[in-house]
Amino acid sequence: MTEETMLHRLPVDAYTSQAWLDREQKAIFSSTWRYAGFVEDISEPGQYMAVQAGLNNIFIVMGRDRRLRAFHNICRHRGTQLIRAVGRTQKALTCPYHDWTYDLEGNLVSVPDEDHEYGSVDKSCLGLKPAAVDLWRGMLFVHPDPDAGSIIEWFGDVEPMLGPHNVEELVEYADARKTYEVRANWKIVVENYIDVYHLSHLHSGTLAMYDHAKAEYGFVGPHFAFWEPPSDAYGADIQKNAPYPLVVPVEQAGAWVPMLFPGIGLGESESAWSVFVITPLAPDLTRVETRTRVANASEWSFGKQASRSVAFWRDHITGKYAPEDGAGEDDPMVSGDFTAEDIYACEQQQKSLQSPYFETGPAAKGEGPVLGHQQIVLDYVEGRR
Amino acid sequence: MRDFHRLQVLETREEIDGRAKTVVFEVPPQRTETFAWRPGQHITLRFRLNGEELRRSYSVSASPFSGEPMRITVKRVKRGRVSNHINDHVKRGDTLEVMPPFGGFCLDPGHRLRRTHYFFAGGSGITPLFAMLNSALCAEPHSFCHLVYGNQDAGSIILRSELDALLVAHPRRLTVSHVLSRPSLFSSFGFWRRGRIDRAAIDAHFSENPPYAQDAQYYVCGPGAMNGAVRAGLMDLDVPVNRIHMESFGGNQMIDDSVSGVAANASVRLNGSVTNVPVKKDQTLLQAMRDGGLDPPFSCQSGVCGACAAKLTGGKVHMRARMALEDADVAKGRILTCQSVPVTEELSVRFG
Repeated sequence: MTEETMLHRLPVDAYTSQAWLDREQKAIFSSTWRYAGFVEDISEPGQYMAVQAGLNNIFIVMGRDRRLRAFHNICRHRGTQLIRAVGRTQKALTCPYHDWTYDLEGNLVSVPDEDHEYGSVDKSCLGLKPAAVDLWRGMLFVHPDPDAGSIIEWFGDVEPMLGPHNVEELVEYADARKTYEVRANWKIVVENYIDVYHLSHLHSGTLAMYDHAKAEYGFVGPHFAFWEPPSDAYGADIQKNAPYPLVVPVEQAGAWVPMLFPGIGLGESESAWSVFVITPLAPDLTRVETRTRVANASEWSFGKQASRSVAFWRDHITGKYAPEDGAGEDDPMVSGDFTAEDIYACEQQQKSLQSPYFETGPAAKGEGPVLGHQQIVLDYVEGRR
Repeated sequence: MRDFHRLQVLETREEIDGRAKTVVFEVPPQRTETFAWRPGQHITLRFRLNGEELRRSYSVSASPFSGEPMRITVKRVKRGRVSNHINDHVKRGDTLEVMPPFGGFCLDPGHRLRRTHYFFAGGSGITPLFAMLNSALCAEPHSFCHLVYGNQDAGSIILRSELDALLVAHPRRLTVSHVLSRPSLFSSFGFWRRGRIDRAAIDAHFSENPPYAQDAQYYVCGPGAMNGAVRAGLMDLDVPVNRIHMESFGGNQMIDDSVSGVAANASVRLNGSVTNVPVKKDQTLLQAMRDGGLDPPFSCQSGVCGACAAKLTGGKVHMRARMALEDADVAKGRILTCQSVPVTEELSVRFG
């Protein structure tokens, strides 16, 4: 038996092989609550959407009672992933392939030409397979198992460690919505998000708003909680230095940056609230979707806040390296954009995993969360959680 | 066994200008287990007025999770002998005969449950719903409650100040929407809507208060006509029937006299022994059992309380009313013996 090259607790294989990703898709992404969007994505009766949750495609639709229903998007006839809501009142769900039609509770109500095609069909055992859906912290979540239990059983214990934000009262800042792909394994992206050690180094120029030395963090079940206070310079006058109008009381300024399992990052600060959703696409390819909420305030107050805070951002937030030290105009290390810095680091790490000479050094204290996450992934994949 | 116990009245309070009275009971420590109640359950009071025994069921309006003592609020019913007796005469220190709490119209809170509870109350139908919503607020911290409460005018709203206090205590988890059928022109009371709790009102309510927790449950308690209208409205708005829970309160509940009972022989299993009871034509099972010398449990004798429920294990009956049972109970063979007349000549019935 050859000794596996390890990246701390996990073999390097876990970051490069399809077999590992298949196991994770099954044991992790298909058996936990999956982010599906914002509450406002389905706001009227009859609206529906389909989301991929691990191996499952789940269909969500709102009834006229404004309650959401979730079903596996699999027509019970040929299994086609084509369900949609139709009709003027959107009371019916139908698969356009052969027009099998279901009611909002998933019961099969009509099979076209039933008489001469079938004689009769026992519709009672051909309902859509139900899934679970719930709203939490302004977000839609789905679970493939209709008896998954309440979403509080999953997130309840970590909730007290999150920010004091009234997420439902914030509004989406549409321009901040981005979806991009990172050429790295999904765990590399998670590990980067929860690596406390790198904050003062990779982001030495970009995250100077917060005092990383005072960060408090740890796992609550499979979820990672993180909080840090404003830095002295930023905290000297939060009301002036914050880039947007505040969304929490000034005395509670700080950054809550949890990574909920699996791969659901939040960035909750005194002036914005963001979600950072990590979805594996291939062993070395990951999709990141970010959406942001801000105060429900006028454009005028955003403009005023931007001009008040401009001096702080100009004086304190820079690229890691000065432009003259960069490797050209596009060098993420001079961009002054911490996301660009992170993507760069993740992709460069993934590249080196291919090398036969790859080997890791010791993990720092601030990288404890990285080891913690690796252990949790291992526990799920090996069936201990 | 569910017997009557003598309980002392700890305190009484006049409500809505003397048109209702709250009666608070003192439950001695050795009886707290017997008198433990689930939110939504009712107690039965027994009075002897002018030599006649009268029983009435009243919902406990306090939540067992709020630490308050057991209490009921009794609204005067026109020509109602018991309700007027209570309002006129019952006072602190009196001893009343009370049967322990009972009933299947309940909301059992769970600390880890996360639900949206919609309540639709009409008049004194608020009493069980108040106990339920207060319990959900006290003992189900992740859940939300929305109450639509129909009354004639602002002056006839019972438990109004208690609801206001809950709104102050739980501003993010509770909404209360008052619907008044005949609001006074001179009242400054801010109500939500004029009219009745009909389909349009329910639709508007859902659109203003969509469920946040997606495990939504619906509780309906009011006069029979309101219950029917709310249930029909909910179903028309796609609410599945297994999420609707209801209990009828007074008024003209629907009685189905269309089937007359046949003479039959009923085999009754009660307290471990089996007795054969002859049932006369058009007689209810409860009457037949009492005529036959049995002592089966019963209370309201109007199909509301559920105290007389039993399981039908053979034969068929017709129930004239069955507000105390949910469809799922009926499907499992539960019957109300006070409302059941035989359809087949042989019946088997089991209590407990």
